[in-house]
Amino acid sequence: MKVSRKLVGLLLLLAFLGAAQTARGQGQIGTLHITGVSSEVSTGRYDREAGIFYADVSEISGALITFVYDDVEIMGKIMEWRTDDDYLIFSIDAKLTQEDFELTGDLIEYFGEEKGLRAEGNVVVVTEDATVYADRLDYDEETDEALFTGSVRVVFSDGFMIGEKLLMYLEKSELQFFGSFQGEFNEEDTNEE
Amino acid sequence: MNSKLKKGLIFGAALIALIVLALRFFVEPPPPAVSIPPSVQLLESRLVGRKDGVRQWEILAQSVLQAGDSVTLTNLDEMVMFQNQEPYLNIDAETAVWNRKQDVLHLYEAIVRDNGEDGLYLESDLLVWEGAEETLNSPGPVFILWQGLEIRAAEMLLESQARLLYLRDDVQIRDGSMLWRMDRAVYDLDAELMDFYGNLLLEGEAGQSESE
Repeated sequence: MKVSRKLVGLLLLLAFLGAAQTARGQGQIGTLHITGVSSEVSTGRYDREAGIFYADVSEISGALITFVYDDVEIMGKIMEWRTDDDYLIFSIDAKLTQEDFELTGDLIEYFGEEKGLRAEGNVVVVTEDATVYADRLDYDEETDEALFTGSVRVVFSDGFMIGEKLLMYLEKSELQFFGSFQGEFNEEDTNEE
Repeated sequence: MNSKLKKGLIFGAALIALIVLALRFFVEPPPPAVSIPPSVQLLESRLVGRKDGVRQWEILAQSVLQAGDSVTLTNLDEMVMFQNQEPYLNIDAETAVWNRKQDVLHLYEAIVRDNGEDGLYLESDLLVWEGAEETLNSPGPVFILWQGLEIRAAEMLLESQARLLYLRDDVQIRDGSMLWRMDRAVYDLDAELMDFYGNLLLEGEAGQSESE
């Protein structure tokens, strides 16, 4: 199934964020933009000693914080980057995009030391082939697994499946459903979205 | 009085009147006196600036010209700014002009260094020290090295008591391989906190390393 294959975007993000912390001096490590803000408005603070970069444009209409690396973008209205711990969190309108892959959630967190990524609250993953809805997504780079939990719904072009827990094995391009799942598929190619 | 004497007196009076009129209308009056303020030029002098009796700065200059309230120092050998009676900054400058009444010191072609661990280096075409506010202002472009940071801005203001550095317009701060560009920033030198304002671009640069 191509759903998991599209999560390769997450891998690219992990590569970027990891590189931003550890590979200084080893080449391009991407850019961070804060846009749509007047020069008189405070947008954040960098605590150099603690290694914490914090930005908040949630009160500014049209303003946005965007990380860009290669063709991966992650954006939101509030961001905190703890550079020493290699931890990053985006919240309010948090979104990660890469080509035709899109992940949104109330917040998106990256844990560099644990090599994991988490999205929480109204999680939606849109790919070329399907859309996954869940309360939460945990991605583990070590095991290469993406776990969707809480009100999971996978919508395909020809049907959908609903359950509480869904595990994706990215490398194997497999989906594993846990617990009770129910779904509907149609013979003809109709799209629920 | 005989008539000859009368005629002589009348003639003399008329002659005096003619001379006075001629001087008044035909002879240009002398220019008014120009007030030239007293000036003093000293050679190889040490000048000390104080506020409330506390030494703020000290300059050793080859030439000091005092004219009115303005003191112009050239060929500066040594300039030290003090904080809490301790040497704080060393300054090299082409020329320094001190307005005594306003307690404002203009430094031209200035380079500021400290001898401490902070490793401050500051370069500007013009720095203005305002003694009353204890601020150091660069109304034009400034270049600063500070604790591994490389800072450029179109304008700068340093509040020496609060130890706050205000940077404005086309602000660039390089921290290792990371380059910040922003509209405005306020850097707390002691707490190492940087508040930024307006749009911001933070980019990692290829070929740079933290040691650079």
